[in-house]
Amino acid sequence: MDVIWQGVKEGFFLILSLDQELVSITVLSLQVSLTALFIAAFLGIPVGAALALKKIPGKKMILNIIYTFMGLPPVLAGLLVYLFLSSRGPLGEYQLLFTPTAMIIAQFLLALPIVAGLSARAVMTQRQEVYDTAVTLGATRRQAVWAIIRESRLGIIAAITTALGRVMAEVGAVMMVGGNIKGKTRVMTTSIVLETRMGNDSTAIAIGIILLSISFLITFFIIALEKRSFKDDSSIHIV
Amino acid sequence: MTAAFTLSDVNKVYGSREVLNVRHLEVHHNYCYTILGPNGSGKTTLLRIMGLLLVNDGGKINVLGEKITWEKSQLLRLRRQMAMVTQSSYMFLGSVYYNLAYGLKVRGNSGTCINQKVDEVLEIVGMSEFKQADAHSLSGGERQKIAIARALTVKPRVLFLDEPTTNIDNKSIIEIEKHIKEINTTFKTTIIMVTHNLFQARRLSDKLIMMWDGKIIEEGGPALFEEARDARTRAFLSGQLVPTMI
Ligand SMILES: Nc1ncnc2c1ncn2[C@@H]1O[C@H](COP(=O)(O)OP(=O)(O)OP(=O)(O)O)[C@@H](O)[C@H]1O
Ligand SMILES: [Mg+2]
Repeated sequence: MDVIWQGVKEGFFLILSLDQELVSITVLSLQVSLTALFIAAFLGIPVGAALALKKIPGKKMILNIIYTFMGLPPVLAGLLVYLFLSSRGPLGEYQLLFTPTAMIIAQFLLALPIVAGLSARAVMTQRQEVYDTAVTLGATRRQAVWAIIRESRLGIIAAITTALGRVMAEVGAVMMVGGNIKGKTRVMTTSIVLETRMGNDSTAIAIGIILLSISFLITFFIIALEKRSFKDDSSIHIV
Repeated sequence: MTAAFTLSDVNKVYGSREVLNVRHLEVHHNYCYTILGPNGSGKTTLLRIMGLLLVNDGGKINVLGEKITWEKSQLLRLRRQMAMVTQSSYMFLGSVYYNLAYGLKVRGNSGTCINQKVDEVLEIVGMSEFKQADAHSLSGGERQKIAIARALTVKPRVLFLDEPTTNIDNKSIIEIEKHIKEINTTFKTTIIMVTHNLFQARRLSDKLIMMWDGKIIEEGGPALFEEARDARTRAFLSGQLVPTMI
């Protein structure tokens, strides 16, 4: 117990001293995960909405594949990207392996099915009335589809937060394609693994605290964006 | 003047069940129509086809002088001259104001103009103090009133009302009916309403359409209340149990 307490104390000290390496690791983590998440949301939300609303041949199968990939183990995503980017792979010539770009690609692959799959579900729960109400008030087809997506926003926000939690927390994929190179591809999760292995408990704990706080802050921020409709409670009253 | 709506041999089939089959129906401008009939007789289905929300399986439809081809630009052009209060009075997430502003916003109106119209319709339904309220916290009757107000913002030529006052108290019903009558006479808005309230049908309608099992079994003016030919209509309009074996 003493060891942990000591680690927490030293961890806080490291954070407060704005340790140079700690800062750069944190910044890189955020850059990688948020970029991956942003691209995944940019593609995943429209894809999810289209799968929910459009008549697409083989739609059910596509959705089932997406749902399956929501549980894709990070190391497998890492392996896949590794095989594509390694010097013998199809994209080997771009020499992306062990760069932040490779890490972004791997995390993007992890985030995309979650954003697309959960967005599709959120849109699917909307009923005909939403569309009817919009068009009877004079909406164009595009405006009405947008109204449906807007009505699904709580579910879509949940999709984004879920995906963010997944990419911020994963270690397998970034380890495989980033290589945990100091000052280049070392991020929070990979350095926790490394520091623990080297016996630097306090550094590992410090990074852990930062990781947790950042996840908390981002979630808080996303929820605050939608404060009006995001209740902390269901509106169901159970007596 | 040609009819606002003409339907010939229009039907709708779900699976193997024909839920609507209208041999001929003309709806004329400026009148207030009431569609009556038991649950499941096809009233909402008919309204949604006329409101261009549901594609019919067979037959021909003419709306506001145009033969319906279900082509995108035609749908938008015609829908923008109509408004509908649907049976569920769906409210978008957000404030009452957001809901009331929607029809004006999609038409590209500006902020001050929207605000003024919103205040105007809130006044009509007597709910001015609810402007900033969360639309999902409204009671059933309040929601219906806001749904009616929302349809009024766009000054439609045709207004469809699907059981608009089911959950509304008598005092408010009279108030709302007054406004329905008023837009009917002053703006020459054609009203097509579904109601289970026979008193309301009597008070508002110029024309009655009686539906039964997907078909229009009788049509006529308010005199129908006294002299319906069909025994089912007679029973229904006098509020008696309807003989089912006919
Ligand atoms: N999407 C659908 N799929 C299958 N059946 C449907 C569908 N929509 C409506 N129906 C059926 O069509 C029939 C007519 O429905 P409609 O909603 O037009 O009835 P209604 O006269 O409006 O009834 P109510 O007074 O209860 O509102 C009903 O029996 C209903 O079950
Ligand atoms: Mg109905």
